[in-house]
Amino acid sequence: MQAQINQVTNDVIVTESLGKSVLSSEGLLHILSSIDLIIKSGESIAIVGESGSGKSTLISLLAGLDTPSSGAIYLNGKSITLMDEDGRATLRNELIGFVFQSFQLLPGLTALENVMLPLELRGDKTAKTAATALLHRVGLAQRLSHTPKQLSGGEQQRVALARAFVTRPAILFADEPTGNLDSKTGATIIELLFELNQEHQTTLILVTHDHALAARCQRILQLEAGRLV
Amino acid sequence: MSRFTLALRLLWRDSRSGELTLLILALLIAVSSSTAIALFSDRLQRTMSHQAAELLGADLVIASPEVIAPQWLEQAKQLNLTTARTAEFPSVLIEHDELLLASIKAISDTYPLRGFLKTRDGDAGTETIAYHGPEPGTAWLDKRILSALKLKLGDILTVGEKPLLVTKVITYEPDKKGDFFSFSPRVMINDLDLSATGVIQPGSQVHYYFQFIGADSALVTYKNWLKPQLNPSQRVMDSQDNRPELSSALNRAERYLGLSSILVILIAGVAIAMASTRYTERHFNATALLRCLGLKQREILWLYSSQFMVLGLIASALGSGLGYGAQVGLFYILRELLPQPIAMPSLGSLFFGFIIGMVVLLGFALPPLLRLKQVSALRVLRRELEPRQPAVWLVYGLALSLISVLIWKYTHDLKMTASILGVGFITLMVLGLLMMGLLTLMHKRLEGMSLLWRLALQGLLRNHRASISQILAFSITLVAMLLSFNVRNDIITDWQQQLPKDAPNHFALNIFPNQVQDFKAELKQLHITGSEFYPVVKGRLTAINDQTVQKRASKDSQGDNAIHRDLSLTSAADLPNENKLQAGEWWLNSPPGLVSVEQKLAESLTIKVGDSLTFTVASQQFHATVANIRSLRWDTMKPNFYMVFSPGSLDAYPSTFITSFYLAESQKELLNTLVKKYPSTTILEVDLILQQFKTLLTQLTQAINFLLYFALMAGFMVLLAAVYATLDQRIYEGALMRTLGASRRLLRTAQFIEFSVLGLMSGVLAVVISEFMLLALYTQVLHISYHPRFYLWLLVPVTNAVLICVVGCWGVRQVLNKPPLQVLRAL
Repeated sequence: MQAQINQVTNDVIVTESLGKSVLSSEGLLHILSSIDLIIKSGESIAIVGESGSGKSTLISLLAGLDTPSSGAIYLNGKSITLMDEDGRATLRNELIGFVFQSFQLLPGLTALENVMLPLELRGDKTAKTAATALLHRVGLAQRLSHTPKQLSGGEQQRVALARAFVTRPAILFADEPTGNLDSKTGATIIELLFELNQEHQTTLILVTHDHALAARCQRILQLEAGRLV
Repeated sequence: MSRFTLALRLLWRDSRSGELTLLILALLIAVSSSTAIALFSDRLQRTMSHQAAELLGADLVIASPEVIAPQWLEQAKQLNLTTARTAEFPSVLIEHDELLLASIKAISDTYPLRGFLKTRDGDAGTETIAYHGPEPGTAWLDKRILSALKLKLGDILTVGEKPLLVTKVITYEPDKKGDFFSFSPRVMINDLDLSATGVIQPGSQVHYYFQFIGADSALVTYKNWLKPQLNPSQRVMDSQDNRPELSSALNRAERYLGLSSILVILIAGVAIAMASTRYTERHFNATALLRCLGLKQREILWLYSSQFMVLGLIASALGSGLGYGAQVGLFYILRELLPQPIAMPSLGSLFFGFIIGMVVLLGFALPPLLRLKQVSALRVLRRELEPRQPAVWLVYGLALSLISVLIWKYTHDLKMTASILGVGFITLMVLGLLMMGLLTLMHKRLEGMSLLWRLALQGLLRNHRASISQILAFSITLVAMLLSFNVRNDIITDWQQQLPKDAPNHFALNIFPNQVQDFKAELKQLHITGSEFYPVVKGRLTAINDQTVQKRASKDSQGDNAIHRDLSLTSAADLPNENKLQAGEWWLNSPPGLVSVEQKLAESLTIKVGDSLTFTVASQQFHATVANIRSLRWDTMKPNFYMVFSPGSLDAYPSTFITSFYLAESQKELLNTLVKKYPSTTILEVDLILQQFKTLLTQLTQAINFLLYFALMAGFMVLLAAVYATLDQRIYEGALMRTLGASRRLLRTAQFIEFSVLGLMSGVLAVVISEFMLLALYTQVLHISYHPRFYLWLLVPVTNAVLICVVGCWGVRQVLNKPPLQVLRAL
C-alpha cells in the first residue's frame, strides 16, 4: 500500500520510525531514534550535525549499506528492510550513486575502469563509451588510463563523481565530498557535483559540516544526538 | 624486564592475527619435518655404528663364496681366536602345497659369537634370549613362514632333502644383512644338518661367513696374516674398519628424505618470509608511534625480535615433539627394511630440530623484521614514509646459506651440494621467469576480458612475486610426488607389460651338471617350454690388458658395479637368442680362451675387441681375449650374461646350470614335483621377486611421500600467507564492490576462478615438468618404456585446483562476510 502511495506521490525515500542502536560495553547505545522522512524525486537535501550526531549512520541506512534496528525504509517504493544483502546490492546498483570523503577508488583499476565498474556490474555493454564520455565531462579526458595513485586528490574525486553519475542513479549520496580536499579544489568539485546533479535530475543527499554548502541544497536536515530537529 | 613484559603483551595482542598463526604453523611444519629426519638418520646411524660388532656377529669376519682353507682355521686356533661359521643360501620351501622362497642360514654350535638371538615359543609366547642356535634336527623360522606354509610349531619342515622339527619362532638375529635376500624370510638350521639337505654342491650359490673373536692384538695379527691370501671374491671385515653399511636402498632413502625435508624447509621458509613481511608492514604505524614516544632503533629491534624469539621457542619445542612422532611413523613405514632393534634417539638430534627452528626463523623472518628498525618517527604525520627494503644479499643470503649447509649435511658431498644448489637455482629462475611471462601476458589480455574474469585474475596479478611463489611451491611439491608415484608404479608395471605373454616366469638355478639331462627330460615330459641351459661359473673380472679394472671404472657406473662382485660367467657355442653382435665376429669352432662382452659394460669399462681380460675364479686366474661385443635385452626373462666364453674356456672350474621356463597359472603344482625331485635346485618365481621389489619400492616411496605431505602443507601455508598479505586490500575492494552493487555471488565466483587458475597453473606446470623428468629418467637412466599418463594430466591439476580453492576461499571468507559499511568507515 505504502509502495503504491510512493509511486503515485513521487517519493523517492520514505522512512518510518527509523532507529539504530548498537550494543556497547555500557549497554544499548541509541545512534538514531524515530526518524521519519520523506524525500521527493529531484530534491537536494543536506544532512548536517555535529560529529557523532548520527549523520553517516543515517545515510548508510538510507543507502542500504546497513540495516536498521527498528522502523522501515522505502526506496522507490521498495522496502529495503526486508531485503537480504545481495538484494540490497542489486538495488544499490540500480538506484544509487555514492561519493565518499576518501574517494574510495579501486587502486588496481585505471580511472576509466573505475568508472566503468558499476555499469559492468549491470552487464551494460556500453560501459566503455558511457564512462569515457563522463570522464570527458569531468575534465579528465587525458587521464583515462591513469591509476588512482597517479592522480591528485581533486582528480580522484572527479573520477568518483563520474563513477557516481555514470549509472544515471535516482539518488546520489555524498558523504563529506570535500572533506579531504583543499578549499579551492573542494569548491570546484562542489560546482561540478551540483552541475551534474542538475543535468541528471538526481536526488542528492549530502552529508556535510559546511553550512555554506548545506545552504545550496533545497532542504537541510539537522541531526542532534540521533534525532531530527 | 619491563621491556620484555611489553614485548610479551604486544605478542599476546598480536597472537590472534592471521600472520602470527601462519608463522607458527609454517615453523611447526619445518621443525617437525627436519626433526623427524634428524632423528631418523641419527637412530639409523647409531644402530649401525654402536652395534657394529653385533651386526657383524663377531670382531672379525671372512665372507667367502666357498669354504676357506683348513689352515686358515688352524692359524686362528693358534692365535686363541674362537671361531663360528654360518652359511647362507636361498631355497624354495614347499609345505601344504604352498611355495615360499626362504633364506636358509646354517650355523655352527659356537654361533653367535657376539650378541644374541631372540625367539618365541609361539604367537603368545614371551620373547626369550638365546646364546646358541637350533639343535641338530630342528629349525627356527621367521613367523612369516609359519603362516605362508600353513605350519605351526612342532610340525616338520623339509629343507632340501632334510626334514626338520620346527621348534621356535626367531624374532631377532644379530648379523642379519641388509641386502635383498635378507628380505626373504629366515630359516635357521644347524650346520650339522647342512650336508643332509643336499642343497650344497660344488658351484652352489652360498655365502659363507667365518666369524672370529679374541684378543685385539691376536685379531690384528690374524688379519694381517690373512689379507695377502684372500682371493678377489673373499672379503675380511672387522668392526673397526668395516662397519656394516646401510644397504644402498636405505642409504638413498635417507638421502632423499633429507633432501625432501630441505624442500619442506624452503617452502615453509617462503611462507615465514611472507607472513613476517605482512606482520612488519602492519606494524609500521605502531612502530612510528613508539619511536615518537622515545624508543630507540635498537630498542625497537629488541622489542620485536624478542617477540619472534618467544614465538620461535614455542614453535620449535612443539615442532620437535611433533617431529618425534613423525619419525616413529617413518620407522613404522620402513620397519621391514631396517635392522632391529633400532637404537634410541639421542637428545642431540632432538635439539638439532629445535635449533633448525630458530635458524629457519632467523634466516627467513629477520630481513623483513629489520625494516621495523628503519621506521621513521615522522611517519606519525606522514603515513606515506616507508622504511627502505632490506638489502637483497641479506634476504637471499641468509636463506641460501642455511639451505646450503643443510644440503651438505644430507649429502656429505660438496660437489653434489653445489650441483643441487646450481640446478635448483637455475630451475627456479627459469620457472620463475616463465611464470612471470605468463602473468604479464595475462595482464595484457586483461582488458578484453569480462568483468568477472578481470576481477578473478586481478587477484593473481596483484602481486606477481607472491603468485609465482605459490605456483612454484605447489608445483615443485607435486613434481616430487608425481615422480615418486610414477617411478614406483612404472618400474614394476612397465616391466611386466613388456614381457611377452609366454615369457619365462621361473628361473631354475644351481642345476648340477649331472642333473642337466634329467632336468631337460623332466621339463619335456611335463610339457614345459624352457630356454637354453647355460653353465654358470662365478668369477671376477680383475684386469683389462693387465691394468687393474678399478682404474677403469667411474664410481657408481655399471662397470663399477660389475667389478665389485662375482659375475656369472658362461660359455656357449652359439650366439644366445635376442643377443646382437655389435663388433667383432661370433666364434665358429674356435679354441677356448675367447670371450664375448655385453655392450654397455664394455662401454663403461672401455673394453674393445682384441683386449685381454683377466678373470679370477676360486683363487685361480685365467685370461681371455675379447672376440666380440654384443648387445642384449635384460628384460627377456631368459638367462642373460655379461661375459660369454667360447666352449671349453670354463671347463676347469666347477659349474652349475641355469635355465628359465614358462609355467601357466594352471601348471603351478608342477613346481612341487620339480622342487621335490631336485632339492638342491633353486627355483625363483619372477612374480615373487617382483612382489618383493614392489614391497621394497612401496615402502621407500611411502616414506618419501610422508615427507612430501609436509611440503604440501607448507605449500598451503604459502598460499595462506599470500592471501593474508593481500587480505586488507581484498576486503576493502570487496566492500567497495558490494557498495557499488556487486553481488556476493559475483565476488565468490571471482575468488573461485582466481584460486582455480592458481591450482590449475601449478598443477599443469607440475605435470609438464614431471613428464619431462620421467621421460629423461626412463630413457636415459632406467631404460624402461615411457608413456605419458593422460589421466594424471587431468587429475593432478583438477585435484590441486579443488584443494587450493577450498583453502584459498576459506582464507578470503572475510571479503564476503565483512559488512561494507564497517570496512569503508575504518578508512
